Amino acid sequence: MNQDIHIPALARVEGEGALTIRLKDGAVNEIVLNIYEPPRFFEGFLLGRYFQDVPDITARICGICPVAYQMSSVQALEAALQVTISPEVRLLRQLLYCAEYIESHALHIYMLQAPDLVGYESAISLAADAPDIVKRALRLKKIGNDLLKAIGGRSVHPVNTCVGGFYRWPTVEAIHALVSELEWAREASIETVKWAATLKYPEFEQDYEFVALSRLEEYSIYDGYIVSTTGRRTSPEEFEKFYLETHVPHSNALHSHTAENTTYFVGPLARINLNFKQLRPIARQAAKEIGLKLPLRNPYKGLLARAIELVHTTDLAVQLAKEYAPTGPSFKEFKVRPGEGYGVSEAPRGLLYHRYVVDEQGLIRFARITPPTAQNFAQMEADLWALAPNVVKQPQEQASISFEHLLRSYDPCISCATHFLNLKIDYE
Amino acid sequence: MNLPDDGTGRSEAGTIVVIGVGQSLRGDDGAGLAAVRLWYATYQEKLIRPAVRMELAELPGISLLSLLEGYQSAILVDAVRSGSIPGTILQITEGQLDQFSSGSRSAHGWGVAETLTLGRSTVSEQLPRKIILIGIEAGQIKLGENLSPQVEQSLLEAARLIEQLVSEALDQA
Repeated sequence: MNQDIHIPALARVEGEGALTIRLKDGAVNEIVLNIYEPPRFFEGFLLGRYFQDVPDITARICGICPVAYQMSSVQALEAALQVTISPEVRLLRQLLYCAEYIESHALHIYMLQAPDLVGYESAISLAADAPDIVKRALRLKKIGNDLLKAIGGRSVHPVNTCVGGFYRWPTVEAIHALVSELEWAREASIETVKWAATLKYPEFEQDYEFVALSRLEEYSIYDGYIVSTTGRRTSPEEFEKFYLETHVPHSNALHSHTAENTTYFVGPLARINLNFKQLRPIARQAAKEIGLKLPLRNPYKGLLARAIELVHTTDLAVQLAKEYAPTGPSFKEFKVRPGEGYGVSEAPRGLLYHRYVVDEQGLIRFARITPPTAQNFAQMEADLWALAPNVVKQPQEQASISFEHLLRSYDPCISCATHFLNLKIDYE
Repeated sequence: MNLPDDGTGRSEAGTIVVIGVGQSLRGDDGAGLAAVRLWYATYQEKLIRPAVRMELAELPGISLLSLLEGYQSAILVDAVRSGSIPGTILQITEGQLDQFSSGSRSAHGWGVAETLTLGRSTVSEQLPRKIILIGIEAGQIKLGENLSPQVEQSLLEAARLIEQLVSEALDQA
């Protein structure tokens, strides 16, 4: 085969991207993964804005993981402004994050990646043959969105999060009303793990450096230290010292690498490999029942990691929702002062870092957002190189599909790109 | 401080939902949201009608199905690219939408068309019997909150069309 393989738009990833594999004398000569516009463009958009507008603006970077952008940004801004949130605010933010994990993982597992593993072009064709599977996914996703709406005020882009807490507490009735659905979601998640274990995963293992947030006392999603399978442990303040970004000529998105110039991998696989012991017992039990062996070094098995996290987050959500009984103010009053702050949280797709400089009027003077997809970008390309020698021998269409499968297993989120409905209508 | 009142509450009596879809920080991608906001502002006195609800959905993806659930009819307003002049208003039936939804690898995976196709094949009984899409042809899609002048000028026409379709749906309800 002496033709280039060009995939002009990656289907079934969140957002738009393209991939070109150039062959020379039948061998792979160049691999170009192009993510058109990363959240980097939002950084300029934030300059000069009032700090309290940031959580609502960054939420709009992604329709699937708005909470992650809010959580990293409010933490960074609270650090900059030296605001300490109450334990109750922290618990409600964790519950909000659970909502996002439920809707995002349900989407990725069932709609974006599973069709590849069971041999369907899309969830639409999967639904035709296995409607119950897709219905389960839709109900799980809806429960996540309903919880998002109850806490955040809207089911897609929550607007209730602010620096210092929440604009208002959701009513106890609204949260408690969701408990039975969350309990259903927990059962459905256990079923999801069992079902995920029956899927056939391509054989592909690499020796990755995994990086994730970690805490001793809980499975880290909302905050924590940054740990690596190399043993490195850094604080959010030190992130940019050890995890660097560089421009590459072929893409608008930056490439991340470690200070030692190696690639690294963030996301569910990283979290589960590094923090398995902190998972809630019911999630560890679900993993045990399918005979899960760690470490997982097969990127396609990120789906299994997501399914286990779904059990964890639904179980946590049930507890947090049942115990929800806020007292006192939902929002902490504070004085605006100049400062610099750092925030990291675990978006469903991996570690998400924000840094802001705020001036004496509370206006944003500097913003940096390093999303998980950008951090995984170099690792995705490295994987494509590892996969390519065998795949390029396949017919072109099959080769394209194989490359897309690998990329989709990472769940890249490129949703800051536009979301147009591309219409071609022939008028009679 | 209060939550912005964007009218996203839902009454039990709601039979018609008008949903603006888009990305408000992406130039003309926000046209659908802007048109629904303008309709809401222009025809506010009529919105006492409990049967009519409004939603603003930025990048909803599959969550769009949740927003549609339980209504008898729905009007979706979204920016489109069909090759027309920017600002052109298109009225598209669900049947028309469906025939262009499959096989497209250029649109990102989960646009309105794919989402509705999936919804019809799984939870159709929970979705409105009638869904109409109003498409507003986009011009520029640069990062920023402003619409292009052609699209801005078309908003009133879009708002009128929304109101006309709402009235028709109310008559049929």
